[in-house]
Amino acid sequence: MSKLVIRGVSKEFPARRGGGATRALEPTDLTVQDNDFITILGPSGCGKSTLLRVVAGLETPTAGEVLLNGHPVTRPGPDRGMVFQSYTLFPWLSVRDNVCFGLRERGVPRAEQVAIADRFLAQVGLKGFENHHPAQLSGGMQQRTALARALANDPDILLLDEPFGALDHQTREVMQELLLGIWEQHRKTVLFVTHDIDEAIFMASRVVVMSARPGRIKCDIPIDLPHPRSYRIKTTAAFADYKERLTEEIRVETLKTLQMEA
Amino acid sequence: MNGFFAPLKPVPPGLRAALAVACFVLFFVGWGIATYGGFVKPLFLASPGTTLASGYELFAKFGFTADIGVTVARVFAGFALAVLVAVPLGILMGAFKPVEAFFSGFTSFARYLPASAFIPLLILWAGVGELQKVLVIFIGSVFQLVIMIAVIVGAVRTDLVEAAYTLGASRRGVVLRVLLPAAAPQVFEALRLVLGWAWTYVIVAELVGASQGIGHMIIEAQRFLDTGQMIFGIFIIGLIGLITDVAFQAMNARLFPWVRGR
Repeated sequence: MSKLVIRGVSKEFPARRGGGATRALEPTDLTVQDNDFITILGPSGCGKSTLLRVVAGLETPTAGEVLLNGHPVTRPGPDRGMVFQSYTLFPWLSVRDNVCFGLRERGVPRAEQVAIADRFLAQVGLKGFENHHPAQLSGGMQQRTALARALANDPDILLLDEPFGALDHQTREVMQELLLGIWEQHRKTVLFVTHDIDEAIFMASRVVVMSARPGRIKCDIPIDLPHPRSYRIKTTAAFADYKERLTEEIRVETLKTLQMEA
Repeated sequence: MNGFFAPLKPVPPGLRAALAVACFVLFFVGWGIATYGGFVKPLFLASPGTTLASGYELFAKFGFTADIGVTVARVFAGFALAVLVAVPLGILMGAFKPVEAFFSGFTSFARYLPASAFIPLLILWAGVGELQKVLVIFIGSVFQLVIMIAVIVGAVRTDLVEAAYTLGASRRGVVLRVLLPAAAPQVFEALRLVLGWAWTYVIVAELVGASQGIGHMIIEAQRFLDTGQMIFGIFIIGLIGLITDVAFQAMNARLFPWVRGR
């Protein structure tokens, strides 16, 4: 059975004063298999984040439905862990308590919470920072904590909305490797939104390209690169081929977006 | 950039304290010159020495300590009552938009009703006893507090709320474990601010129909044209205000160490 089914999902934002309704997302279909790592690649403003937010249950689609393990999604829930582009750690909680947050909401005993949190914090390389507060951490460390926080809930699927978008290039590449390493180990199903082509290819088992607004799925490209992947794969010929193709696909859409704005 | 007057450039803490003290010193020097230099008649403005002597007399002969105690008790009773009503109501308004829609028009209107204008009515309703004084402070503070707290709670970052939902928090969990802790530091700042205003209302309340309190003492002193006592009374209010303010700030810094990020 497919893990996640997106069926005919579209989203229209209601008209604001002096303007018409904004069509953010054309009816979209996407099927995600268990253990898939899908990156959704598209120019900014194409509705890729909207699609992810619909899956998360944070937006209600105008039409269509999302099924997770056969059950329709109606609201956000811990079965879909999410990491946002903005830093969303709770600033009043320590790093450890941030990771414990979801477990605590579920009523997991404290000792077990701490054991789980510390295990995931170690996995994202934050051992020794358990008692720090978010403000004391760098951006990369905050996003690693957010990843640990989402993973601690043991979600069915991980939704990542440009989680490394605010990080500098070097940190970003290290974070990609870290996430990929975690995926290779746990084989969580992942839906990862990005506008970075390298990032999309490097981590994905499938890259889904979205068109300019109103967004629709333009093409769906399986990435047939061997695992485990290291950063060195980015300089191989196979990687370059994927990159060339995707660059063309995205470039057309970006130009369309620019024309629309002009 | 170098130099003292580069915009937003901090000053060293030692210099900061010295500058603050210098302002007080300058104030007293100016006052001294105006009075001892014979530029202002003693009938209108007592000299610093006379004021201090009046102050000593007030404590030694007229039981001023009791007046201070009564006024402080009134302020804290009225303010506590306002906090008791305003904090829960403000949180409900900030968190739940229908509650806000219901109350916000009325509170915005009520906020502009001057507390001092209620004094004749309150005397009619509650007599000239303690209840009337407490109610003046309550009316003066409660609406301001409600509005400020509603705004603070309503301005909590929505991405924190969304993150909590994706971690499995219920609505109740979001209010109790996201909105409340996120808003708490600013709510306490609002309390500090409004407590300062409560002090102006208590004096107004005590100018009319009181037999004790700092305001009552000031009115009595006016009868005997004792500017020394009047000024001393005003100073005492300022001094108590300064002490509560510093105490409040210290308490906030202790309660919410994460705000400054250390």
